[in-house]
Amino acid sequence: MHKRRSKVLLTLAAVVTASLALAGCTAGGGGTTADGKTEVTFWQQKFEDYQGVWFKKYVDQFNASQDKIKVNYQVVPADTWTQKLQAAQAAGKQPDIATTNYGNIAAGVVDGKFAALDDYMPADVFADIKDNVSSFVTIGGKHYAYPMLVEPSTVLYYNTDMVKAAGLDPNTPPTTWDQLIDWSKKLTTGDVKGMTIASTAPDLGWSSWGLQYNACGHLPISDDWSKANATDPCYEKLLNLYKTLYQGNLIPQQPKVGYADGSPYGSGEVAMMAGGSWVIGQLKTDFPDMLAKTMVTAFPSWDGDATRTTATLGGWTLTLDSKSKHPQQAADFIKYLLAGDPAIMADFFKAAGYSKYTVRKSVDEALASDPNASADPFMKIISDKVVAYGKQEPGYPWDIALAMGTAIESAMKGTDSIQGSLKTADAAINDVIQKQSLAGTAPKK
Amino acid sequence: MTAVLPSDSLAGQAGELAHVASRRDGRRSGTPRVAKHLRDNRTAYLMIAPMVILLSIFVIWPLIYSLYLSGFKISFYKDPEFVGFQFYQYVLESPKFWQSLGVGLAFAAMVVPAGMLIALLIASFIKTLSKRLASFMKTTVYVPAVVSTVVASVLFVFMYQDQGVVNWFLSLINAGPVAWLNNPGTALPAIAVPAIWLGLGITTLIMLAGLLDIPDSYYESAELDGAGFVKRTWYITIPLLKNILLYLFVTGFTAALQMLDLPLVMTNGGPVNATTTPNLFIFNSFRDGTPYSTSFSLTAALLLFVVLGAISVLVFRLINSDKAVDG
Repeated sequence: MHKRRSKVLLTLAAVVTASLALAGCTAGGGGTTADGKTEVTFWQQKFEDYQGVWFKKYVDQFNASQDKIKVNYQVVPADTWTQKLQAAQAAGKQPDIATTNYGNIAAGVVDGKFAALDDYMPADVFADIKDNVSSFVTIGGKHYAYPMLVEPSTVLYYNTDMVKAAGLDPNTPPTTWDQLIDWSKKLTTGDVKGMTIASTAPDLGWSSWGLQYNACGHLPISDDWSKANATDPCYEKLLNLYKTLYQGNLIPQQPKVGYADGSPYGSGEVAMMAGGSWVIGQLKTDFPDMLAKTMVTAFPSWDGDATRTTATLGGWTLTLDSKSKHPQQAADFIKYLLAGDPAIMADFFKAAGYSKYTVRKSVDEALASDPNASADPFMKIISDKVVAYGKQEPGYPWDIALAMGTAIESAMKGTDSIQGSLKTADAAINDVIQKQSLAGTAPKK
Repeated sequence: MTAVLPSDSLAGQAGELAHVASRRDGRRSGTPRVAKHLRDNRTAYLMIAPMVILLSIFVIWPLIYSLYLSGFKISFYKDPEFVGFQFYQYVLESPKFWQSLGVGLAFAAMVVPAGMLIALLIASFIKTLSKRLASFMKTTVYVPAVVSTVVASVLFVFMYQDQGVVNWFLSLINAGPVAWLNNPGTALPAIAVPAIWLGLGITTLIMLAGLLDIPDSYYESAELDGAGFVKRTWYITIPLLKNILLYLFVTGFTAALQMLDLPLVMTNGGPVNATTTPNLFIFNSFRDGTPYSTSFSLTAALLLFVVLGAISVLVFRLINSDKAVDG
């Protein structure tokens, strides 16, 4: 009997030990392939389809170009990105290289997530980055990401056929918020809404940054992140704009897609659209017929002053994980893809239909000889009227952006008054400042 | 787990040795024999062992470890910082946490009673049908139970669109279109409808099983006394279904309070947090991506566990469960 019990115990112990050992084997990453190549993992957040094709092409090309490093490329859907990355970080299996937007760099550096690229890449690759963009990825004098592109978050698209049909002049688009509301009213007919703009808190959180700057000249937090600033009366006109558009039935009441997707405009469901510059790329690939009847201009300013900010300049970078077991090899790939031969990035902007902006001087030079790059009428207007006055995305934690997004949504949908919504946001932001100890942590360049 | 088993086996061995020794003394027989009740015990322990081991690995240990972790501010890149009960205070102070509990309770209050009432009516109806028709109805009613929640969510999102079937019905009476999922007042009831639909199959079948257990003689004598459907239901069906109703209420209530997928797919918690159920609040907190959010969502999950336990206890207290009533 005792023997039998010992056998049971022994078997059990063996099973437990074996499973623990197996679990141990799979933990961690950064191995080598059978033929001795160092393996580096790269996660790309899913963007437009053409981007996936471009990344795949150059990852394959990099893997074939040398015999020391093998990059394992994986595309992760945007809606599952954060939880997948967090879960991987908890298990110590995070990728060596990941796509990171400008807004997340500062907070990531504070948390120690990213390695400084200066330690693994020569100084001249950083000198090639345009000066204004260089500040987006630099903290305390070090580069924690290599930038890929810049794109303004908000420009105004309008359908010239519909505008003419409503008796409006497409060559004199609205320049003030009052005019925008007037145009929206005149363009709303039957099933077609006058315009579309973000209407849910998560979308409003980031897409309204440019308009928050427009209304107040600042974001709803003090410069040193020590105090909320959301009850500043100047925000009331911003919330009122969104409220009028929503409650006046001038924008879709139940949008089928998020702010970043330009298909409601492309398919003619709305006459005007607030959208990022990336929508030009979408129109070119998915709705080519719309291009001839589309005009683009800066989103109106509250008082008509065209020099006020209307958009933040967002965009994507590649970051190197601070816990990467092969940081040099990972950095070599980042250098190859984003900082190496300018023709590689030039190919990217070509695939994007020139709907995004370059961040390197050498890529501009490479594109200078391409007539299509400079001839795009949309990009010229966006460059002169929007990017010129654009501001960098804020680097504060997402909770603060979401608090402001929730305030706008709450005013739009009548959950609370405009003042009440701003007051709730102010309290929520102060709460984040206190609980996440933000005071004085605003990134210094 | 490994710490429990050896001591358990040692205790068992010691007891067995003592027993064998006493028997040897008493009967002076040559071969040691194990008492029947000890053999029974051993069989019982062996039979529950897989469950205990699995529960220990997947429930008890993670729970203890979570309690331990909730005392730290966890960063995956820096050493954890001990903060004691600070995160409990943060969660309890968070208006969003309480709001999400309110949303969860409102959601449960919409889904559970309505679902049970509809299921009771359908079950009573099926009971009156012929055998062949009843089996057809049972299959039909059960179909939603095998539909994935995500598929149902997407289906209902389409139905609630401006051009969807729900607004089409409204247009017949010259009303609407209503922005069902984008209006803070209608979003939660709009999500409750697919939740009721999805739960209907199992609830109906369990109720039907309970109904079939009630002797027909009760109904026959009530009918002779002139009792109609409502009276028969009120005085016979409901009292005799009490245990089943209690079971369905408690399990339905906890499931509704823990709803995640429907609001996640249909509204992502919006508009203005009107459909942010407690689990979605915890999930969104985790997805926040800051070091603060990891401990915060963990602590919120532990507190939700306490709240759910308390509600279940309360329900059991309010509705005293009787032992099975002899039919």
